[in-house]
Amino acid sequence: MRIYGPQTLFEDVQQRGLCIGCGGCVALCPHFKTYKGKTARLFPCDRETGRCHAYCPKAEVDLDELARQSGQPSYPASPAGGYQRIVASRSGRRLAGQTCQSGGTVTALMTLALASGRIESAVLTGTKGLVPHPVRVTHPDGVAACASSKYTAAPTLSGLNAAIEAGRRHIGVVATPCQATAIAQMRANPLQQDDFQDPAGLVIGLFCTWALDTRHLIAFLDQRMDTRRIRKMTIPPPPAEVLIIRTDTGDSEIPLDQIRPLIPGGCRICPDMTAEWADLSVGELEGRPAWNTLIVRSETGRALVDEAARDGWLETESYPSGQLDHLLGAARGKKRRALQQARADGLLNSAPDTCRAALRLDAKTVDALIGDGEECACRY
Amino acid sequence: MNPANPLQHNPYNLIITGVGGQGNVLASRMVGDMMSQLGYDVIIGETFGASQRGGSVMSHLRITAKGVYSPQIPFGSAHMVVALEPSEALRVLKDYGNPHVRVICNTRPVQPVGVIRGDLDYPDMADLRRWVRELSGAAWFIQATDMAMKLGNPILANVISVGALAATGALPLSRDHFENVIGRKMAAGKIEMNLQAFDAGVAMIRSAG
Amino acid sequence: MENTPGQRHLVMGNEAISRGILEAGVQVAAAYPGTPSSEIIEVLSQVAARRHMYTEWSVNEKVALEVAAAASFAGLRAVAVMKQVGMNVAADFLLHVALRGIRGGLVLISCEDPGGLSSTNEGESRPYAKMMEFPLLEPGDFQEAKDMTRWAFDLSERLGSIVMVRSVTRLSHASGNVTFGQLPEDRPTADFNFNGAMLDPDTGPMINLPGPVTIIHRRQQEKMARAAALFETSPFNRYDGPERPELLVITASACQLYCREAIEILGLEQRVGLLKLGTTWPLPIQLLQRHLALCRRILVVEEVLPFLEENLQAFAARAAARIGIKQFFGKNDGALPSTGELNPDLVMAALSRILDIAPMGRDDAYRRRAEAIFAKGAPPRELTFCPGCPHRASFWGIHNALAMDNRRGFVSGDIGCYSLAALPCGFESLKTLHAMGSGLGMASGFGKLSPFGFDQPVIAVCGDSTFYHAVMPALVNAIHNDANVTLVVLDNSGTAMTGFQAHPGLAVNALGETVPTVEIPDLCRAMGAKVRVCDPFDLPVTQNTLLEMLDDPQGVNVLVLRQICALSPEKKGKKRYDMAVDPQICRADDCGCNRFCTRIFRCPGLGYDPQKGTARIDEVICAGCGVCADICPSGAIERKQRS
Repeated sequence: MRIYGPQTLFEDVQQRGLCIGCGGCVALCPHFKTYKGKTARLFPCDRETGRCHAYCPKAEVDLDELARQSGQPSYPASPAGGYQRIVASRSGRRLAGQTCQSGGTVTALMTLALASGRIESAVLTGTKGLVPHPVRVTHPDGVAACASSKYTAAPTLSGLNAAIEAGRRHIGVVATPCQATAIAQMRANPLQQDDFQDPAGLVIGLFCTWALDTRHLIAFLDQRMDTRRIRKMTIPPPPAEVLIIRTDTGDSEIPLDQIRPLIPGGCRICPDMTAEWADLSVGELEGRPAWNTLIVRSETGRALVDEAARDGWLETESYPSGQLDHLLGAARGKKRRALQQARADGLLNSAPDTCRAALRLDAKTVDALIGDGEECACRY
Repeated sequence: MNPANPLQHNPYNLIITGVGGQGNVLASRMVGDMMSQLGYDVIIGETFGASQRGGSVMSHLRITAKGVYSPQIPFGSAHMVVALEPSEALRVLKDYGNPHVRVICNTRPVQPVGVIRGDLDYPDMADLRRWVRELSGAAWFIQATDMAMKLGNPILANVISVGALAATGALPLSRDHFENVIGRKMAAGKIEMNLQAFDAGVAMIRSAG
Repeated sequence: MENTPGQRHLVMGNEAISRGILEAGVQVAAAYPGTPSSEIIEVLSQVAARRHMYTEWSVNEKVALEVAAAASFAGLRAVAVMKQVGMNVAADFLLHVALRGIRGGLVLISCEDPGGLSSTNEGESRPYAKMMEFPLLEPGDFQEAKDMTRWAFDLSERLGSIVMVRSVTRLSHASGNVTFGQLPEDRPTADFNFNGAMLDPDTGPMINLPGPVTIIHRRQQEKMARAAALFETSPFNRYDGPERPELLVITASACQLYCREAIEILGLEQRVGLLKLGTTWPLPIQLLQRHLALCRRILVVEEVLPFLEENLQAFAARAAARIGIKQFFGKNDGALPSTGELNPDLVMAALSRILDIAPMGRDDAYRRRAEAIFAKGAPPRELTFCPGCPHRASFWGIHNALAMDNRRGFVSGDIGCYSLAALPCGFESLKTLHAMGSGLGMASGFGKLSPFGFDQPVIAVCGDSTFYHAVMPALVNAIHNDANVTLVVLDNSGTAMTGFQAHPGLAVNALGETVPTVEIPDLCRAMGAKVRVCDPFDLPVTQNTLLEMLDDPQGVNVLVLRQICALSPEKKGKKRYDMAVDPQICRADDCGCNRFCTRIFRCPGLGYDPQKGTARIDEVICAGCGVCADICPSGAIERKQRS
């Protein structure tokens, strides 16, 4: 992992429009802040290396190195990253009566993690109006309040950083793939600090194909409705191709084609649909609305899922045949599109001596994932 | 009025320099008033206003038996420089110094913002002393601010420097003149402390030999 | 300013002008403060009660001149004082009062700032005298500053015209010896007589109407002709030099001191003649003709623009048949710079070139060595806000709010100490800076550009005194035209930059009397703005309030940031907190801080100790405001309340 300083981060990510506002550079220091879904640099900082750059999921992310850190020999040429198993799951009887988005797997697992003392707090994502913001929960009962799909990029990691700066450890996080990537880089102690301790006790990743820029979405919806009346947003599984906005006065549907221009540039080079760097990854299970897809990736994740299944927090079933191909096909599609885009933009494996990349991974793996080995133009 | 004590130069060109907030204007006024009371004609030129906000400030005093001179001393023509801040001595010497100029220099730095910020270096005191000596015919270094803090207020460094100027004998300034001048302008409660500061400045030059 | 006629005092040029005003028996003096003019009213205010005089800090220069003119119309002697920029504010009224004439002696004093030592420009106001046709006097030293000011009132009454006295920084803010004259004891009463004929200068109404303009204008020009005739014998115009000089130097104002010294240093007393003019408009024709006839070559020395030079050239052209062809040196041929101040060295250089004599060089080896040492030994002193200055905290909030808002917002600035916010001390927030009141005027304009794709938020700033001076009309404009802007009033309880003169927000006037206040928040609310008031030292509240205002898609928001100036007499030297840095906690240049307090916040009371690798407080400089404790990311800066 090549680590540069905040000025490089500002030039390579913010000024190039790649920032997805995950909050990974926020609350480490006073230079970066998040406001209304956007990360702002308040002041320049002339350090040559910084955690802000090291953590950023859009700057010099070395996928092979992250794979080695999680015990794999190198980044696999597989569509959903490395994992132990994939199951179908939904929340169990211990959570009966709670309203959850779709299957409730995330709520169940995070509630158990808190209740069992595996983690001391959980950093989740809440919303104020349409603006997502981090919420730190210390009591198991607090988890469910944040359980709803957010389709806007969220600065959740600023909450994690703030908790770490305040001296907290063993923190659980519910993270999108980009956020999970940032956390994986955090866990590598990139600045080799003497007093480093792995801050994250558990990372539950969420499947994600893209997010929407918060400010662009608000501006878009402001022209169409009274955004104060919005209660919930959902994107039903294909082939619906709509965003459903539920308001006090009824539902309205917006074709996805209309909102795709609101996707931040950084999402277009994201190769990760299934939150590959999480302990556990959770997504919808197409065709079974009350169930989730659950990918178990790490030992930490496996142990939690086993206990959850045993003690009635979670119901699991073997993954429906046929669905796996469908899932991996979608993940492979995102990966191929992202790597092609990154390469076209000069952001993939840029010449290491002279240029900076957003993503690095073995060229052969790239070929395997994309299907050809064309060289890219250097962008930096 | 014909002054009895002749000036070493006519006009005698004195520059008092420092940083905004160090009491530069007051010091120049004190010296000017003392010389004016002795019957000399005095012209004081100074800049203040925006330069007060952390900038360099400089008072030019022209002291003459008779006449009006420019409130700006011609380049290279200072006879004495009193610097309330050491690097300001160098700034003045660059434009107004000459091999014969004499310098009284307070050794307490006031760091420019650029130095505080880390973009610029402030020179070592040893270098500053060496350079001031090199650019002057005679130089005295005084710990005026440290002494002023002992007396209770760092601003008194300006009065200490006036005392030091008197002790050099460059101008016919005496403690009585000083007392007379401040007695007219200053609240009674402050006079004693100002006299102490003046005396401390005199003592610093005397002990420096 | 005791009544000590015949005694000699060391006084500032502005004090000398004040003395001249007192000796002239002036009863009304009005001004808006501005460096280098402010001391004149301050000195007068101190003695106003004893001298049966009224002084006021007017809301702006135009009103000051109107207040003074009212006294003149009522038969009293009166003066209005301003700096060069204020002349432009007063100009509209000035045109009319110059045309219509005066009753009691009325003098306008303009203190100008060649080189812009404490101004954002080095604008000239001498051309107003020519353009609007009234007499202009320029004192050349401290004694003249008093004597000419006093005489200006006699002249004004004799002509029935307003008279302008022009000073410059090097006279107003320099000091010299002045022998005082007698103070008058008579006390005329004020009465405005308007019962005479419409156009009667002494008894009619003081009115400018479209019909009789040319009649009144002709009278005004007759006054100027009388003035020129009077100036022929004025003692303020003097020639020193040989009967047949090789070169005639013509000069005025403080420049005459530079010329005299240059001639003396170069030993040119027998070769160069010096004609020093005190009356620079209208020009005394006979006197000039006599002196221009002395030699062929003329050097004109003045600041800043070639006003005198070009008027003399025009005259010399008209008189060429009588005085011969002249060769002029000055600004137009580049003998002297036409920007910035002059000084003895620049005049010496010009004389040396014209007369082809060796320039008076400095010891070259010394100069080079001094410059080399200076380069290493005297780091530049960037201007900055004072320690404890509320503006640093205010611009912290403004900068952070604009940066977080992240739409390339900017500050439209105004005139005051806070103009420095264009520099790093104000986090370079300020992106436009022009005249008094222009901050909100420009913001009002920017706030109407959204139909053309403009989507940057704009914050206008102004000081409390500036608000009354020129921002109020801009605020009405912004509200009425529904411009979407935020105005931040940096209210530090006084006209701080010029020395804490009173303004309408304070319950005291120039005379120290208790007077009604006009509250800024009340005014803004009454106009229709959404108004909040905060303490800028409360950084989070200030920042959040600004973010809310920037979020407001409609109308004008006003945030009054109220915190008294650190240099104000009430506050100076009184520390609220003792500050200290805990070196154990300070993260210095580690990731997470990188010397945030000294590198970014940069209060002069902070410092960095490279040996220990921690921040520190300079207790000599620290004003104890406590704000830096709130910006430290690690909580390493501690504040302890002083008992």
